[in-house]
Amino acid sequence: MSPIKAGSSAGTTPAEAAPAATPSLAKRLRFDVKSAGELGAFVVLIVVFAILNPSTFLTAKNIQTILNQSAIPLIIAVGATLVILMGSIDLSVEGVMGAAGMTFVLMSANSRGGTGYGVVVALIVAVAVGMVLGLVSGLIHTRLRVPSFIVTLGVWYVGLGIATLLFGTEQIPFLTSDSLKAWPTSLTLGLPNSFWLAVLLVLAGAAVGRYTRLARWTYAIGNNEQIALGNGIPVARVKVINFVGAAGCSAFAGVLASIQIGAGSATVGVGSLFLTIAAVVIGGTALSGGKGGILRSALGVLLLTTLNNGLILSGVSPNIQSGVSGVVLIAAIIAAAWPYRGRLRVSK
Amino acid sequence: MSAELSTATTSAAPTMKLTGIGKTFARVQAVKDISMEIRQGEVIGLIGENGAGKSTLLKILTGLHQPDTGVMEVNGKEVTFRRPQDATAAGIGVVHQEQALFTNLSVAENIAMNGSGVKDQGTRFGIFRWRILNQEAAETLARVHAKVDPRAIVGDLSFVDRQMVEIARALRVDEMVHASPLVILDEPTSVLERDETEVLEREIRDLKKIGSVIFVSHRLDEVLRICDRVVVMRAGEIVAERATADVTEDELFALMIGHNERAEVHSRDREGAKPAPILEVEGLRRDHAFHDVSFALVPGHILTIVGTNGSGRESVCRAIFGAEPYDGGVLRVGGEEVRSWSMSKAVRSGMAYVPSERRVEGMIGGMDAAENLTLVHPGAARSGPLLRKRARAKIAAEWFERLDVRPRDPALDLARFSGGNQQKVVMAKWLQSADLKILVLDHPLRGLDPGAAETVNRQIRAACDQGTAVLLLADTLEEALHMSDEILVMRDGEVTARFDLSVEAPTAIDLLGKMV
Amino acid sequence: MSEHATAETAAPETTPDPAPPRRRFAPRNLWQTIGPIAVFVVFFVIIGILQPDFVGGGGLGILAIQATSILLVALGQAMVLHVGSLDLSNAALAIFAAILLALMLGPLGAVAPVLCLLVVTAIGAINGLLVAYTQVPSFALTLGTLGIVQAASLVVSGATTVYVTDNAAVLEPLFGTALAGLPAAFWLAVILAALLWFLLRRTSVGQAMTAVGLNESGAIFAGIRTRWIKVLAFALSGLLAGVAGIMIIAQAGAASSFGLGSDLLLPGIAAAIVGGTAITGGATNPLNVIFGALTITLIPIGAATLGVPPQAQSLVYGLVIIIAVALTRSRASGEIVK
Repeated sequence: MSPIKAGSSAGTTPAEAAPAATPSLAKRLRFDVKSAGELGAFVVLIVVFAILNPSTFLTAKNIQTILNQSAIPLIIAVGATLVILMGSIDLSVEGVMGAAGMTFVLMSANSRGGTGYGVVVALIVAVAVGMVLGLVSGLIHTRLRVPSFIVTLGVWYVGLGIATLLFGTEQIPFLTSDSLKAWPTSLTLGLPNSFWLAVLLVLAGAAVGRYTRLARWTYAIGNNEQIALGNGIPVARVKVINFVGAAGCSAFAGVLASIQIGAGSATVGVGSLFLTIAAVVIGGTALSGGKGGILRSALGVLLLTTLNNGLILSGVSPNIQSGVSGVVLIAAIIAAAWPYRGRLRVSK
Repeated sequence: MSAELSTATTSAAPTMKLTGIGKTFARVQAVKDISMEIRQGEVIGLIGENGAGKSTLLKILTGLHQPDTGVMEVNGKEVTFRRPQDATAAGIGVVHQEQALFTNLSVAENIAMNGSGVKDQGTRFGIFRWRILNQEAAETLARVHAKVDPRAIVGDLSFVDRQMVEIARALRVDEMVHASPLVILDEPTSVLERDETEVLEREIRDLKKIGSVIFVSHRLDEVLRICDRVVVMRAGEIVAERATADVTEDELFALMIGHNERAEVHSRDREGAKPAPILEVEGLRRDHAFHDVSFALVPGHILTIVGTNGSGRESVCRAIFGAEPYDGGVLRVGGEEVRSWSMSKAVRSGMAYVPSERRVEGMIGGMDAAENLTLVHPGAARSGPLLRKRARAKIAAEWFERLDVRPRDPALDLARFSGGNQQKVVMAKWLQSADLKILVLDHPLRGLDPGAAETVNRQIRAACDQGTAVLLLADTLEEALHMSDEILVMRDGEVTARFDLSVEAPTAIDLLGKMV
Repeated sequence: MSEHATAETAAPETTPDPAPPRRRFAPRNLWQTIGPIAVFVVFFVIIGILQPDFVGGGGLGILAIQATSILLVALGQAMVLHVGSLDLSNAALAIFAAILLALMLGPLGAVAPVLCLLVVTAIGAINGLLVAYTQVPSFALTLGTLGIVQAASLVVSGATTVYVTDNAAVLEPLFGTALAGLPAAFWLAVILAALLWFLLRRTSVGQAMTAVGLNESGAIFAGIRTRWIKVLAFALSGLLAGVAGIMIIAQAGAASSFGLGSDLLLPGIAAAIVGGTAITGGATNPLNVIFGALTITLIPIGAATLGVPPQAQSLVYGLVIIIAVALTRSRASGEIVK
């Protein structure tokens, strides 16, 4: 670090060379006990399932399955994390997935006829559709001051409606390109393409979170929106951008999901919301905003998908799955909140 | 007295000049015909009671409100501030009473996010360049002699360090804008103790060399010491301007409230033997806050604890009320030792606590004043599980009359009253109790104008006369000396001196000596 | 923690001191009081004009039948919202109660509904205890409870529909008898709403709940036992969810994790909010929630009556929710909306 310049005063006190409040090494690496705990839990999970299912859990095939299954929640989590960091919530995930996925399928070569416009064009249009929905959410939230909970709830239904309308009354549109349908699970360097795509987006998201002013503003807004406004931070603009981004991620995920099932379905996203939000929370991003990050959420996703996978392999009935996720979620949040308990602490 | 006047007045135009500024809200004029100027290198004190219009004037200066009439000039040029960023761009930085920092971000980020809207080296195309950001922050921090690492997270800093970061941030604005900076300090010392105030005074003297300062405060002694000129506001207008060399505290006081009344030293005669203590503390301890604290509260007596920042006196009071835990020692209420103490138990045993953080802890914003008033001890406003609204309105009206609360409308949301009036309602809430045994007051006069302060003090003494024991954390030593029957001095978590005022009369120096 | 060194002192004026007093019946407050009713009436009238058969053919009665369960779930949610929390599990509790009732009604007769109510109220209370004592956010906690209760429903019902085997007559009067054209079940829900209104406005417990919702810190410092207040709110949510479950059985005679009433969560929340409940807490009017529930129920019915194609119904539902909330929300300036 460059030397601290002496102040321009008459010098009644010499400028201190050693700042009194130096953050410890751990803090500087922004790595705290909590993350270590989650990482530890992840490792423990892997070990436990490896012991329970020695022949099926740690195989290459199974790992590929886990990673493939995490791809969609990972992508959603990138956008969802930024919205949650602001202290808002985006419930429209499943609706946007449906609308974008349906758009993609209908613009690609499908069983209803036509050769489509090619993957790239279809993808762009699908993500654009998602982003428009996100724009709607953001604008209604910021201009009409409707809570994000309600707006995105409404846009959820709107997205589902758009998907259903596009579906129309004809038969199901199936993707006809086999190479496209096979792409997500095909391996590159031993891992599924879908996972690489997710990794790309997660890393991009993490870089955005650490280095862009937009993201730091997001953290600021989550910490104290009143002060952010007084500081001249363009809060409304940041919010809209984050909602657009989150919807874009959901749209991406919807496209990927549609490719994976090989058809256009309005309900392609069912169940994603619960999983993603649970993962984000387990990963350590507080729902009140201002704390957490994309890498943390990614860890949460991997934790949950590994858990679900391990349970299935162990023969647990699928009926119990949501219950297990629920227990893990509750345990995680209690563990996170326990050290901060105080008679004056207010938590809603 | 005032510091040396700056000799660096080269520019002819004043840094800031207001002519005929006025602002009206609904049908009420908040400020009227404000004309003043601030020159380069001047420190102007701005004083006035709550409701005098200081806050509105500051908001106009910093771009939060637009004046309805009048002209504002900065460095000779007429300006209009439509948003706070406009004021910042003109070189006006403000350090608020409430801290305006993001506790989850680092010091450097907070300093950079100062709302000036000016592109600096630290950010390029919306990307943060950490090394440069930290470096620039470090430079600014050094200018204010703040021993803070720019990479530290603000949430981990002590309150004083955060205040320094605030000042650094205001300064940074001025550096970036290269204007002749005007720094507005809004009650910066209200929450500082004596030694910290000295740091601030040094700060302000340094600031004089590069720009001007507006210093808003209720502490007249500081104003006289730090400022070159004093501007007195009353009822929305400027009623006087004086050079600090030419005026005394009493004169300022008279100008502020318009009449020359000052509370007399209250001597309390007491007959008969001292009654049995209602509250006893023996060897009370809380790790990292206080230890070995022992004293007894006697009905009808006022015990004041004085101390500087870090003395632990606030934690002691909160531990007694059950708001904070304690790790060792004995707390006895009404002769019985308490176990697993909590606030609801404290209230049920006849204790009351007026906190210093009024808006968050002392009252419920969104509820009207009458409901707030009858929330803890409803008295006739409640019969069994049911509420009685008419009785409630009547009780509230009586208290409003007795304490002169304005506006006289108990059905109004308490959040809409001024600070002084809110505090009166908060006091009334506890005084409502049919059997108020112990009244704990944590800086009850903080931020109150002299009129409201006098009302509150009167109520405290009245409660005493009726047998309540009072535990007081005073804002000033004068307050402690005037009000108390017994004074405890705390420093760094332990009791360093005890004075029984029926036996001896300590001076402020005596107290100070044990406090620092 | 270290020394209580506070930053907050009294800002000399939180608003310009001589502000004009805001009386209880200022225009803004009036809208919040009447808004939900007005919105419902307007919608109903529009549909009535466009499709007169709807009103003539007992539209209001149909509406009331379907609105009953949503109303009950919404009332429970409103109680939790009032103290500033959120209960994502109460719709799942309703289904769980319905499934339990379907299993127990035959063998146990009239005792069965009471037992079911006890079970789900207890689960609601546990929600409240966890939120209050571990100080975790209610959104996350009830999300977890939701998963657990859903799993429990699947397991208990064997992932299939459970039919009432006997004693259906016990519940028959709920939808069998009518008063002014509306089923007794609906009126029961209205009475519950009125009781809750009374609780909130006229009792000290209700006042304490309001205090907790507006400023929990302030409530703690006023000696209010805020933990028990939260337990009460969540227990009420569970109880009302249980009553909703009873209504489901009374209406359909069967229950499953996927059938009637399995998606009451979002309509319930929407109904509470369209009914003027503030998401931040402290401002709830259970009587308005009645109209919120009627409005929410009206949307799909109205859309179908007006001939909106089924594919577009979701779209309409989403749009109307947004519009209704945008209209009925209070809009204090300077308020932060998350």
